[in-house]
Parts: sequence; C-alpha cells; structure tokens
Amino acid sequence: MPETQQFIGMEGDGRNDTSLKANVVLKERYKVLGVIGGGGMGTVYQARDLNFTEAKRLVAIKEMQSLAIESAQRATMLRNFQREANILAAMSHPAIPKIFDFWDVQDRTQDRAYLVMEYINGRDLEAILAQTRELPIEKIVEWSIELCDVLDYLHNQTPNPIIFRDMKPSNIMIDALGRVRLIDFGIAKAFVPDATGKGTMIGTEGYSAPEQYKGEATPASDLYGLGATLHHLLTRKDPRLEIPFSFHERPIPNYNDKVPPKFVAIIEKSLAKDIPDRFQSAAEMRAALEDLRARPASAPVTVSSPNAAPSDNSTSFFDDITENSGSVQPKWVFKTEDEIRSAPTLYRDVALVGSYDTNIWALRLENGEQVWKYATKGGIASSPTVDETNKNVVFGSEDFSIYALDVRSGRISWTFQTKDRIRSAPRVAHDHVFIGSDDGKVYALNALNGRKLWEYDAGAPIRSRPYVTNDVVIITCASGELYGLSLSGQRKWAYRTRGAVYSSPYVEPNEGVMFVGSSDGYMYAFDAQSGVSSWRFRTGGPVISSPTENKGLLYFGSTDGYLYAVNAQTSREKWKFNAEKPIVGSPAVHKGSVYFGGTDDYFYCLDAENGKERWRFKMGGAITAAPTIAADLILVGSLDHKLYAFPLIT
Amino acid sequence: MSFFRRLFSSQSLPKPGDPPASPAKSTGELVPITPTQPSAAVQPPTPPTEPMQRPTGEPEQRPLNGFSTGSLVDGVTRPLPQDALIDLTGNEHLAFGQATDVGMVRTNNQDSAFSFFSAARSAFERPDFGLFVVADGMGGHHDGEKASALAARSVGTHLLTKIGMPLLIGDDHFNDVPITEAMNDAILKANNEVVQKVPDGGTTCTAVTVIGDMAYIAHVGDSRVYFIQREKIERLTRDHSLVERLIELEQLTREEAEDHPQKNVLYRALGQNEDIEVDTLTRRLPPRSRILICSDGLWNQVDDTKIRDVINLYPNPQEACSELVKLANNSGGLDNVTVILLQLPG
Repeated sequence: MPETQQFIGMEGDGRNDTSLKANVVLKERYKVLGVIGGGGMGTVYQARDLNFTEAKRLVAIKEMQSLAIESAQRATMLRNFQREANILAAMSHPAIPKIFDFWDVQDRTQDRAYLVMEYINGRDLEAILAQTRELPIEKIVEWSIELCDVLDYLHNQTPNPIIFRDMKPSNIMIDALGRVRLIDFGIAKAFVPDATGKGTMIGTEGYSAPEQYKGEATPASDLYGLGATLHHLLTRKDPRLEIPFSFHERPIPNYNDKVPPKFVAIIEKSLAKDIPDRFQSAAEMRAALEDLRARPASAPVTVSSPNAAPSDNSTSFFDDITENSGSVQPKWVFKTEDEIRSAPTLYRDVALVGSYDTNIWALRLENGEQVWKYATKGGIASSPTVDETNKNVVFGSEDFSIYALDVRSGRISWTFQTKDRIRSAPRVAHDHVFIGSDDGKVYALNALNGRKLWEYDAGAPIRSRPYVTNDVVIITCASGELYGLSLSGQRKWAYRTRGAVYSSPYVEPNEGVMFVGSSDGYMYAFDAQSGVSSWRFRTGGPVISSPTENKGLLYFGSTDGYLYAVNAQTSREKWKFNAEKPIVGSPAVHKGSVYFGGTDDYFYCLDAENGKERWRFKMGGAITAAPTIAADLILVGSLDHKLYAFPLIT
Repeated sequence: MSFFRRLFSSQSLPKPGDPPASPAKSTGELVPITPTQPSAAVQPPTPPTEPMQRPTGEPEQRPLNGFSTGSLVDGVTRPLPQDALIDLTGNEHLAFGQATDVGMVRTNNQDSAFSFFSAARSAFERPDFGLFVVADGMGGHHDGEKASALAARSVGTHLLTKIGMPLLIGDDHFNDVPITEAMNDAILKANNEVVQKVPDGGTTCTAVTVIGDMAYIAHVGDSRVYFIQREKIERLTRDHSLVERLIELEQLTREEAEDHPQKNVLYRALGQNEDIEVDTLTRRLPPRSRILICSDGLWNQVDDTKIRDVINLYPNPQEACSELVKLANNSGGLDNVTVILLQLPG
C-alpha cells in the first residue's frame, strides 16, 4: 500500500512502543491474543473473554493513548471518550459493532483508554481493494445500500444526529457473512493531536467533504465520504493521491465502463462540492440506489431511436441525446458525384468545396444552389483557399496542378504544375500561395500570377496545409518531419516525429505555440520560432486530425476513436469523447460547441467545456473532413458525396 | 548514507542542539546545492531599513552574465572578475540572481536552489540556456534539507545531461523528448531518489528551463513561479496545498486560509509516493520581463504587489533577490526563504 500520510516533523509520531504482549489479561477478564491492527493513535488487539469459559468468545479491544501533555487537555480527551463510548453503547444496528465494555487508566505520563467490542471476522474495504482487481458492480451497489441504511440510522438519532465523519474504505468492513460493518467511530479522533505548528505535512484524508475542513460536519458530509469511497472502489484511483475534491475530473466511466450511468450519476451527486447539490439524506440516496437495483445493473439506460448507434458508455452524459431524431436537421444538402474528402471554404455568400469527382463546386450558402463549377483532370482531395486580394480560389488537384480561379465566375486565373498528385491545402500569406505536393516539395507561388518564388524539397509527400507566421513557413511531411522555413525558403529548423505527419499545424497566435499531430500517436506542441518541442500528448492511435484551439483548450481527434480536449499550456487532458471509430477529420469550435465528424458516419456536436454530447447526425458515409462555420450555418462534407449545411443553434 | 556524507561533507550541517548554523563556507567544490547557509549578504533585520529605497552608490553585486556556470547559493557576495561585468541597460542575454536564508525563526535551512546558465556568441548560434530549481524540504532529523538537496541536484543534473549539454554541443537530440516531458521525467526521477534515500523526508520542487525566450516550468508543491512584466505580477504555478484547493473551490476565503489549522498540508510533494503528478507549462518571455522562483518563505511573508515593487526597483536581479530575502526576514522570517530571479534581455 502506498504510504499516503506522512506527518513530517513530528518528533514522537505516536507509535505505540508499549503494546500489550500476548497473554496479558486486562480487567481480569480479557486475555490478549495478539495485535490485529494499529496505526494512528492506537492499537487494536484480539482478545478472549474469559468470562465465557466454555465458548471461545473473541472480542476486539481498542487501546488509545493520549499524547497531550497538559492535564486539562487530557481530561477533555477522556471526557470525550467516555461520552462517545456511551453513545456507541446505546446503538443497535446490524452494521454497527456492539460495545461490551470500556474503561480508562490514568498514570503519571499517559492516559490510556480501552474499548471492548464485538470481534468482526472479515476484511476492510481497503484490504479488499488491495487484494482484488475488480469487484462486481452488483455487490458494490448492495454495500452502498447497506451503508446508506446505517448512515440513515445514525443521522436519525435523537436528540442529536450522529455524524460518522470518516467514511472511507479502511473504516468499512465486510464480515464473513458478506455484510457491511462500520468500524472506528471517530472515538480515536479525540486522541489525535492537533497538527498545527508541526511544519509542513504531506497527504490529505482524501475522502472527507470540503466543509469538514471548516469544522462543519453534516449528514451530507457522510454521503460525500460514501461517494468518495464508491468512486475509489469503482475507479481504483486512490483519492489520497489525487488533487483533493477532484472526483469529477476523474469520471468513473473513464476507468470502468461497466458502471451503469445511473449509478455514476448517484455517486456524482453525492460528491457535489456544495451541500445543497448532494442528496439531502441517506434515505434519499438509498432510495436512488434501490431504484438501480430494481433493474439489471448492467442494462443500458439510454433509450434512443431505432436507428441509434449501439449504447455508448464512454461518458455518463448521454441522457439528452437527440439522435438525428428531429431537432437538428440540415438546412440543405448538396450532392456531388464522388466523395467529399475536404472542408469547404467561404467567399461572401458562396461556399466552395472540392469533390473527388474532379470538380470544385461553388454553392450559394442561402440554399445550396450551384453558382458555378470547374472540372480539373483529377480528384480533389484537399480544401481550397480564397485569396481575398486577387479574388481567386486556390486549390490543388490529383492531376498534379495547382489552380487559381476567379472566385466569382470560376474562370481560370493561373495554374501551376507540380510533379505529383496534390493533397495539400494552400495557405495564402504575404501575397504568396504556399502549398505542398506528393512530389515532396513545398512551393511558394506569387498569388497574382502563379509564378514560383522558391521551392523546398522535403523529400517526402506533403499533404497538410502549411502554416505561415510573420517570419516562418511551417510544413509537415509524410516522412515524419516538420520544417520551419524562412520566408525566403531557407530551412530554420527541423523536427522529426516517429510517424508520418498528415495533420496540419495550428499556431496559437498569442504565444506562437504550434500544435501538430503525428502518426506516431502523439499530439505535439512546439515553439514555432525555434522548432523546440515543449510537450507531446499520447493517444491510442495515429493522429491525422488537425488540431484547433479555443480558450486555452486544444481539440483534436485520433484514430483511437476519441476526440480530445487538452489544456494547450499544460498538456493535461480536460476530457475525451468516445466516438468508437477513428476520427481523422478535424474539429471546429464555435460559441461553446465543438463540431466534428467520425468514420462512424456521425456528425457530432459536443459541449466544448465538458465534452457532453449535444446532438449527432447520421450521414450516409464516413466524415474525414473538417466542418466549416459559415455565418449561421455549419458545413461539412461526407464520403457519401454530399455537402451538408446545418443551422447553428446557439 | 555515504551518499549524504559526500553531499554534505563540505558543509557544516547543524546538529540538533547546535547554535543557529554558522555560515557554511563554500569550498568551490562542484556541489551546486548548498542546503544550509545563512546569507552573509542579508543583514539581520536591524533597524528596519526602507526596503523600498533604492540603495545609493555602486551596487556591490552584478548579475551573472556572459558565459557562467553553476552557482552556489550561499549568500556570500563575491566580486566577479571585471570582464564579467557588463552594463545593465540593453542586456543581450538573460541575467539572474539567487539568494537564500534560514529566516528569523528556524535553526536550519531546508531550502535548496540550483542555477545554471550559459550564453554563447559564436557562429554556432545556440540559444541562451538556463536551468533553475528551487526545492523546499520538509521532515525532521535533517530529512528536509536532504530531500530538497537531493531533488535540486537530481533535477538539475538530469536536465543538464538530457537537454543542456546536447544543446551546447549542437546535438539536435536534445529535443528528442519534448522539454516539459524531460522535466517531468527529471522530477519523477528525483522523487524516486527521495523516496528511496530519504524515506521520512519530502520536498517541493519547482524547476524552470529557459531556452531562448521560452520558459518551460515543472512544478510540485507550494514553491511558486511568478511572471513579472512592468506593473503586472502573475503567479504561474498552482500551490499543491489543501487550503489552496479549498480556495479554488470557493469553500474557503483567503482570510480563512491564513490561519487554517491545516494550512501546512500539501497534497502533493516529492517523497510522498512512488508516483506523483507534475504540473508543467510553457511561457514565452517578452523582452525585459522577469521570472521569480521562490519558496513559501517569501510569499507567506511578503505580498505579491510588494514583491513586484522590489523587483521593479532593483534592475540588478541579484540585488533584488537580496532585498526580497531581507524583506521576508523583516516581516517575521518565519520560514526559510529562497529566491531566484531571471531577467530577460531587451
């Protein structure tokens, strides 16, 4: 077990060096057999009650020591002990161990108190966690119902409710009959010396509710502790090793996809940081848990339309999905003659999209009517770009050529021939067009007339869109290399990833940090100036999808089937969304929503903050292209040959 | 334990019961970590001087500049050779200062610091490279200073080996592992050393690598990194403390946190566990901006605006460091205090 509590700087750490030896008889009645537990403030012994001569009646004896030096403080501790022992002795509940006897001994140096209770033959949940790999969900549900039951009993004591205050795996035992038993009723707490002034300490309790650190303990605090315990049991992530109160940052389904969403929801509610957001009583929580038991624990909870995808438990947030069942429908759809593999671009009220049918199509945004089209001699696999200065739309074709067409008429302005197919998208900057080709070169062409300013041979196909800043042209290459070139085409830096790079770089404008994905499975962050890599984030498959950034979060898909939202500065994952099948298209973010398509044929809209699904729409084929935001529409093409225009709902 | 003997052999570690440590003499041996030295440069808080007043006359200390190597934080002021002194205005390279002190209450200094900086001007065009670490140890029986010394040295040398030296040699493999990932690795490695060699000790660890105008930060614990630019002072790190977390969750106010019984509880530090999570981040540093790395002995005693004012008042980073230490001591000096200040050229 990891050592999680270190009380640093304490000279005497409370270890009991005067443990009772075996065979010592206490009160002429209890014969000590051995130590069964300890730590903290006391030792627990197993003993035999000699009053029962015929039967071997076992008891547990808890010995507590006061380390306080002042006699007034010692007296207070003993009073507290006596009071609590009396309260406990009055309890009668199957989950609460019976108290048989208690007394205290005072001598010159130390006060000791003894509590004799029922010996429980079993293991605590901490031991069970350490000795198992996985526990059946049904069993955990049953335990939590029993725990709610005993908490309900305690909380309804009169005149004052009893707050357990310390719900955690090590205080919950499962006895030989499989029943839950609550141990350690905080009596020992009175003997824990105040930590103030003892220097810095490492480690937190991990399970306690935030308000308990203000000295408040309510019934809801016990429910929080129960939720924390259940979270630990299900995720196997020890909260003592995590940021305090960060359970919501570790959604249960991320660690255990067998937990029914309703169970997840109950635990999440009990872990709300503010008391009013939790269950108001143990009885209420028990009722919710019993409701869970009523149906098979593993049955999917989401009820969806007949053409819905198989139930997806990757996150717990599937309650209000609309599966293209009416609420979001495309405003118009335009069918081309082959696959649409790339994102459309915009010029005023016109959308321009390339299709593998060799055409570039100009469509009216209003209704999707064709304005013009232009046929090349090869499929168009990459996005066009509008050169606003020269009013041209620029794009490459698999016929090896780069085209610049008058964006209003579709008439040709200029063309430029490379030596292989073009699947790179152009970037227009500094009056030039920057575009790569499968011939391994990146070209800088005069945007007005297509005349070549320079070319740079990267030695392997370039299939991404170059990124151009004030002084560096960044290209990515199928060899796995990235290059930073000066505006005159000289290499400034190079960086090699361990897989082909098809993802286009994205440069965050304020800090000049560049992000790009690689087939080696990582998303990388670089200084665009120097090419020095600051971090990489590992996914479960090649990253083809180009990243986009919004409000400090970086969004990208991976062929492992997840869409990721990662803190762009720290590289820490904020959330991920499971689309089940590879995501190769890039996401777009608009007004708090992130939009992307998957190879599972769905177009998704998620809450950009938390990854909760807002809606999805099923298309007739996979989506490999990024969506484009166009005023009040979002446009996206699919391999089903169609371009879809959805209304933007904000 | 031979390890520690080696590490501390040249230091006079105070034994329990010793009078407050006598100034440790640095022997010039290549041990970049000196856990226990009261600063000779910092005068005890005799007549509360006006810390905000700019000292007159020629400053005694100059920022280390040009090509320099690992420095000792021993607070002992040594004049630099004349040719190492350059004008403070219009620096071409980063300058830095470093100071540490036991404070006014404690008997031993459990803080450690490590600084390394290189700047070269040659046809090879290597960027400025700097490596700075502050570690604040905790634990009795000298475990605290052992843990922090071990962490600062381990992180410092690991990053020098993996990034610094290859970068200086011109080996592009210096970046095979992204910088913050290498820093993360360095802290995990240091953590393992602390767990194994000082089982009862723990330490914070805050490291900053500078390459050109980029700062890469890795952090565990409640030492802090501040970014200062003119009137702005911004904390870049998050304290891994229970009260800070409660404040983040709006369960506690700053005032309530001041005298919270569990104010000293960290939820994350080196030495806690075999596996720890390290915060990392990257920041581009504009010309003339500053980065301050400090232990809680500074920020618990001196509020952020005051820190900013001192830094803005003293253009020489070493002077600013000494002033900050003095200010912490004048405000009570309840804890060890360590500061490293970086000043970007421009």
